[in-house]
Amino acid sequence: MPGLPTDADARPLLIERGGPLARTAFQARVRALRAALAAHPARRWALVSDDGGGFAAGLLALADPRRTVVLPQAPQAGSLKAAGVQVDAVLTDRPEDFPGFTTLALSQPTADGGEMALPDDASPIEFYTSGSSGAPKCVPKTFAQLRLEVEALERQWGATLGDAVVTGTVPHYHLYGLLFRILWPLFTGRTFLARMCAQPADLREAAALGSCVIASSPAFLSRAPLGELPPASRVAALFSSGAPLPDETARALGEDWGKPAVEVYGSTETGGVAWRAWDGAASRPWWHPIAGVETELREEDAGTRLWIRSAWSGGDWIATGDLARTEGARFALAGRADDVLKFEDKRVSLSEMRARLVEHAWVADARLLLLPGRRALLGAVVVLNGEGRSALEASGKFAVNESLRAWLRVSYEPLLIPRKWRFPDALPGNAMGKLEQAKLLTLFGDET
Amino acid sequence: MNELIEELKQLIIDSLDLEDVTPADIDPKAPLFGDGLGLDSIDALELGVAVQKRYHVKLDANSADTRQHFHSVENLAKFIATQRG
Repeated sequence: MPGLPTDADARPLLIERGGPLARTAFQARVRALRAALAAHPARRWALVSDDGGGFAAGLLALADPRRTVVLPQAPQAGSLKAAGVQVDAVLTDRPEDFPGFTTLALSQPTADGGEMALPDDASPIEFYTSGSSGAPKCVPKTFAQLRLEVEALERQWGATLGDAVVTGTVPHYHLYGLLFRILWPLFTGRTFLARMCAQPADLREAAALGSCVIASSPAFLSRAPLGELPPASRVAALFSSGAPLPDETARALGEDWGKPAVEVYGSTETGGVAWRAWDGAASRPWWHPIAGVETELREEDAGTRLWIRSAWSGGDWIATGDLARTEGARFALAGRADDVLKFEDKRVSLSEMRARLVEHAWVADARLLLLPGRRALLGAVVVLNGEGRSALEASGKFAVNESLRAWLRVSYEPLLIPRKWRFPDALPGNAMGKLEQAKLLTLFGDET
Repeated sequence: MNELIEELKQLIIDSLDLEDVTPADIDPKAPLFGDGLGLDSIDALELGVAVQKRYHVKLDANSADTRQHFHSVENLAKFIATQRG
């Protein structure tokens, strides 16, 4: 079984708040966690940490064929209480946020020792994502799949990256951030920045250390002023994933900033599938499959759905959520094949959120919809019950909004919480589908 | 300082398109992100851009400081006041 790369040079494994962390010190942390876990009877472990370094150590310590690592959709206790998510214990750097759960602290007293082996390939790791059924969807993977995907990324872009420091503006608890920000550098001996860069200034600070790699997303890149990004000359590669980059953002990066973003198409289920990079010239390029990915179109009522197969997606054909058309090996996407919404790089199931909202003591029924505008927002149309109407009369709309928002915040990231709320006496119309959507939209009137 | 605090509340409401929120609803000491006003990571990005444009302040202090400046309206006002000299 391979261990972590053991370069002779003194490059730190990661850079955290306190400064650089050497490979040996990281390995000591993993070994200490493994020792603490060995004596623990829990088999299904959720891993929650706001720090990419702690998360990496926790993942390597937990991964074991006799245990299952559960990576919740959001780092909140509510995500662990959602239907279909089962955990025995939580490995976390903030146990106080998980009352009622058995917890183990990520920081354990460390001792020196030798090299540390990578986890067994068969170690199960579960990702959770928004399904169309109304409950979070479990996407089971093995450690081998993560390792194979990193190997594919290294074959595709390793030479471009060189020994750049790896940073990112996306969270490490979703597959894209975990692979690009943490595991890729970890397995290939590059240094990574443990924390997520939330502001352009954080990226400039990282770039001051030397050449850097940035794993980002359309939500970030479409808002960050180009002048606030590190100069393109300091960036070995800029990746964007989660959704397609808007045309104007992709063009501006290629032409004005000076280096095209490498867009990566994929999903939690499939892992990385394809890439494209647009320098702004002529028309937008089609997607090229990453070496090792096979694609196929299959006819459905809605159109031709894209299916993919790769070693890191598990070896079997997997249906993507997208319709597509192909030209040779390349393909273009042609819309979603299901009713899951892509919202600011995140997938959200509106039926799942509706089910959660209806569980609130004041809510009789609810509908959610995407409101068009400068920034796409979710709107909630809620029919309050008697108790809810009394609260609205007594405390006002802001207070009721806040109560419902707080309720959803337990399970959802802040980004997904509806921003506009309407409380009609009844839901408009009785027809299903588009007619109802249009009537709901009129409730938000001129503001959209 | 109070004037700046009120100005910032209005800037937050306008630039982030917050509905049903009046300046009086925003406690200058309450956290802007997470549990307080419930702003998200995109709001943080947009607010950072709006503040730099309006007040011509530079946010390239180290990021731990930036987080501190954006903790609350009061912190943000103090930061801008210092930068203006």
